[in-house]
Amino acid sequence: MRIAALGALGAVGAALSYFAAGPARFWVNWIVWMLFLASVGLGALFLVGLEHLFIARWSVPLRRTAERVSGLVVPAGVAAVAALGSLRVLYPWTRPEAAAKAVLAAKSAWLNVPFFCARTLLCAGIWAFSYRFFLGGSLSQDASKDPAMNLRARRFAPVFMSLFAVTVTITAFDWISSLQPEWYSDIFGVYLFAGVFLSGLAGTAAAVLHLSGRGRLPGVRGDHLYNLGALIFAFTVFWSYIAFAQYMLIWYGNLPEEIVWYKSRVEGRWLPVILFLALLRFAVPFAALAARDAKKDGRRLLWVAWLVLFSHWLDLYWLVYPELGIGPRFSWPEFSFALMFVCAGLAWMRRQLTLGEDMPTGDPFLKEGLEFRL
Amino acid sequence: MTEPSAARAWAVIGLFERPEDLLRAAARLRGSPLGRVQAYTPYPVHHLDEALGLRRSPLGGMVFVMGVLGALTAFAFQYWMSAVDYPIVTGGKSPRSWQAFVPITFEVMVLFATLTAGLGMLFLLNRLPDIFHPMLASRAMEKITRDRFALALESSGGQGVDVDAAKKVILELGAQEVEVLPLPAPAPAAPLNFLLGLGGALVAACVLAGYSTYWVIKLYPELPPMSHMERQPRLNAQSPSGFFKDGRGMRPAPVGSVARGHRPYLIKTPEEAARLVNPLPRTTETMEKGRVLYAVYCRVCHGFLGDGRTTLTSAYGAKPADLRIKRLALAPDGTIYHAIMVGKNAMPSYAYELKEDERWAVIHYLRALQRAQDARESDIP
Ligand code: HEC
Repeated sequence: MRIAALGALGAVGAALSYFAAGPARFWVNWIVWMLFLASVGLGALFLVGLEHLFIARWSVPLRRTAERVSGLVVPAGVAAVAALGSLRVLYPWTRPEAAAKAVLAAKSAWLNVPFFCARTLLCAGIWAFSYRFFLGGSLSQDASKDPAMNLRARRFAPVFMSLFAVTVTITAFDWISSLQPEWYSDIFGVYLFAGVFLSGLAGTAAAVLHLSGRGRLPGVRGDHLYNLGALIFAFTVFWSYIAFAQYMLIWYGNLPEEIVWYKSRVEGRWLPVILFLALLRFAVPFAALAARDAKKDGRRLLWVAWLVLFSHWLDLYWLVYPELGIGPRFSWPEFSFALMFVCAGLAWMRRQLTLGEDMPTGDPFLKEGLEFRL
Repeated sequence: MTEPSAARAWAVIGLFERPEDLLRAAARLRGSPLGRVQAYTPYPVHHLDEALGLRRSPLGGMVFVMGVLGALTAFAFQYWMSAVDYPIVTGGKSPRSWQAFVPITFEVMVLFATLTAGLGMLFLLNRLPDIFHPMLASRAMEKITRDRFALALESSGGQGVDVDAAKKVILELGAQEVEVLPLPAPAPAAPLNFLLGLGGALVAACVLAGYSTYWVIKLYPELPPMSHMERQPRLNAQSPSGFFKDGRGMRPAPVGSVARGHRPYLIKTPEEAARLVNPLPRTTETMEKGRVLYAVYCRVCHGFLGDGRTTLTSAYGAKPADLRIKRLALAPDGTIYHAIMVGKNAMPSYAYELKEDERWAVIHYLRALQRAQDARESDIP
């Protein structure tokens, strides 16, 4: 009830900002949050896909939670379709002047409105379908106990992995890179993937700890948490590696068409933001999770998970917001958007957490998963 | 009459069939007053460390400390080289560009950390130079390295283990077989010879590898993977090139253009140049300047002492002159100036690298080199 009220308040503020602060600011915030929801959902979906791909046993007790979190791809897909309204406001390649620029004219086979819309619909469709496929099979197994469901999911997993790689790359290039369409970075899809998997892990970890704190995941022990923590730790380093690799190559080459992107992101008032991001997203989680026992410690893992989620939002903000050209700002429009999307996400998660049993009780590997020891 | 003391042994070993049996037995035997409890398994058994109550390995902490140390070392080293000792602007970047130091810092951190992990495990924790362990003398060892799990009560402090009591306890815990290793502790056969041989072989291998690398590089300075950037698409001075229409690699200056500060050098022969006079006073500053410039521009070819002992490989193909020879020692400054300006055979001109007063400073220093190696008694103060 309180969530609904706060969310409605946020929605009113967000709607007002369209008129008071201008459509550009409205859509920039919208895209940041749309990408945020998509990231958490997709990351969790990736975790589910990984389990099936590698026939992992340890994560079976946590799989239902990951499946539920991955449901965020549904509202994210809806938000992405709605965000198509931003194309003419934010994206320079939609403007008539773009045809005059040789670089943009050459890219127009990819960057044109009908194809962009088709890609967005396709991505949203693929996410929703994959989510339904994994979750549906898993839910039906609760009652039927039919091991054939595992085989079905296992066969789909490699297909899903390929689709996942392509759609995440498309999302990164379309929604973020093409805000500055002359700029390019080959690794940018991987950069977004690092953030996606991290935030998916963090979302799953937060949900797991929420449920197990209420005794809903009996048998989930420090050993399981350790693996979640280790993955968060590993991908913290992975993100930092990719982020720095991209930055260093562009900084070294110092080519005009590449460096502009960083010039508007690491100079002036954005410098403190990126330093803060490096601290929150690399230094703190690294230090917090480096020790062996730290990864088993639920309390610590919980705050690290929330920190990772927040820093992913900050990352997206840092990627998208500079295109407005007004420097880093966080005032009532941003606050309203945060309120609206966080409340919507939490409300959706509350619904998701009632889907099926808390653990995949029909999965023949559940017992083995619960017995998992490091 | 003294009571016959109970039989004592260095170790009493029990063999188990399954790792679970071992875990259970180890947990029960832990802290036994009979002796030190040790387990031997064909592969790492999870949670055995807990069952035995082992303390946490210090390796993690060591690796962490050494990793941090490696990162700091690499960063400080690069900073000192690039920004303090010999600052060079490359690619328009400040010599203090920390970004460029990160990859090497990262790699050295990993290097320090992994070496610490590997060597620390082998030498500190596994006591490596010591390759013998009394257990190796037991019959049980053969089975342990195959498919059995052993739990042993070992003598601590040399008093030995009470055989009867230990046997009883271990059998009660469900061991299938029991073996007794008698006192005194079995000793290694001849580890010293082995170690000496091993060390000698290592040293020999290092020497061999070092020398063969040295000679291969000396004899084949341009082995294909290491062509030393010889072959790359570029324009070479004084060489033809198909890139331009006139077929020449070097571009003639636009007609009538004169470089800033350029003074035409109209002298054609060394004889003509002999009349030039060194305008610089022979001061300490000039000498110092000449020394630095000689080191930068001339030393690679003419050697530290000007004796023509080049540091270039044979790929250079020419023999730089020994600058101490009589002809050059007696030649007027102008002759040497001429060599710098127009070069000679395999020696290119250094007219563009050195400004006029810099050329004369190098000549002062060259004179000092010549004189220093042909000193007279009267030079001694
Ligand atoms: C790339 C290698 C190289 C460098 C660098 C170089 N030289 Fe030489 N130099 C030579 C060679 C080779 C000769 C012998 C030329 C011959 O006699 O065929 C030579 C000869 C000379 C001679 C004797 C000329 C004569 O009349 O016989 C002088 C003087 C000389 N160099 C001075 C210098 C000075 C001063 C510098 C530093 C500015 C310098 N060289 C740098 C390769 C070099």
